[in-house]
Amino acid sequence: MTPARAALALYPPSWRARYGDEVLAYLDDSGGGPAAVASLAWRALPAWFWPPLDRPARMRSSLATALLSWSMLAGLGLVFAQLTQLQGLAPPGHPQIQWAYAVFDVTLAASALIAGLGGLPLWLLMLRQAWREQRTRDMVYLFLPVLAPVAYLIGLIMTARMVGGASGINQGWFGVVTLAGFAAAAIAATGPGLALRRLQPRGPALRLAAGAAGVSAAVMAVAAVAIVVAVVSLNLWARQFVGYHDGTLSGIYLALVVIAATVTTVSAARGTRAALAVSP
Amino acid sequence: MTDRLDRWADPPLLVLASLADEPKHGYAITQDVAETMGVRLSAGTLYAVIARLEARGLIEPLESDDRRRPYRITMAGAEVLAQQSERMSKVASVARERLSTRLGWVGA
Repeated sequence: MTPARAALALYPPSWRARYGDEVLAYLDDSGGGPAAVASLAWRALPAWFWPPLDRPARMRSSLATALLSWSMLAGLGLVFAQLTQLQGLAPPGHPQIQWAYAVFDVTLAASALIAGLGGLPLWLLMLRQAWREQRTRDMVYLFLPVLAPVAYLIGLIMTARMVGGASGINQGWFGVVTLAGFAAAAIAATGPGLALRRLQPRGPALRLAAGAAGVSAAVMAVAAVAIVVAVVSLNLWARQFVGYHDGTLSGIYLALVVIAATVTTVSAARGTRAALAVSP
Repeated sequence: MTDRLDRWADPPLLVLASLADEPKHGYAITQDVAETMGVRLSAGTLYAVIARLEARGLIEPLESDDRRRPYRITMAGAEVLAQQSERMSKVASVARERLSTRLGWVGA
């Protein structure tokens, strides 16, 4: 290890990741020398107290978290649609339930569309980089949002055939299918997050994706509110709903919705703030 | 004595002043500061200052395929530099005026 690298090793990892290469290039240009290395070593301690703020890194990290929590929230939303809306649970005299269904449908679709359109340039940018640099693993990560749902659907069709059609899926099978769906969503969302961490993209595509994530999360928060309104209303006024899903399960479900919506909104907001702070 | 007083120069201000005309990478900043302002910034000081200015949004890195990443001053950075320059200008003006009164010094 050269003296310069030894001095750099005294800095926090985030500092080295952000400035390490630049400092080594600086030392190459300036000829280095004991004085330069000593000054580097001397300044290492304060760097531990004030780590660097890397806005692109903040955007990437927020995007990865928001994507994962958004997927979980969308999964919870689909469970909600399956157990309520698609079962025709709409007690008369409570129009807010129908309204909540309509708001949920529109906001879920809009949120997915905004996230997809906003994230597409970044996805293409990373795919091009992975292709150019022959990074097979990163290409697999980038295609996981397609591969995981396809694998899940194939599994779902095979399961339905095995149990004698959709009507053969009882409560136990429904639980298995639902958990498998969440696992597929998590895998699909984790892929691009890992690619973001490994490929470290920057620039307008990253800012666009971070901005779109903020808008998408805000719209998805409205979907989460619609879920809460519908589930609370059904628990209060729909007897058949209460008979099928007790209050404890509804409470756990709503807590998960609130947690997922909060994580999504906070992460996306942090990423968007970092994107807005970077001038074009 | 003069060399020791040079150490009072505020490194963040020197870096901002260096970036005021065009973006520069680390080594170009130290060269510019040394040539135009007569102050030598060490590697440790320079990158501590760059990290601080970047965290405060006063400078920002530009895209680069090279390890030598250039930085440019932001609008906020330009405002801070303008305010500080104004203050320094007042200090210099007062100093020159009083020195000329007391010592008959007319300055360079």
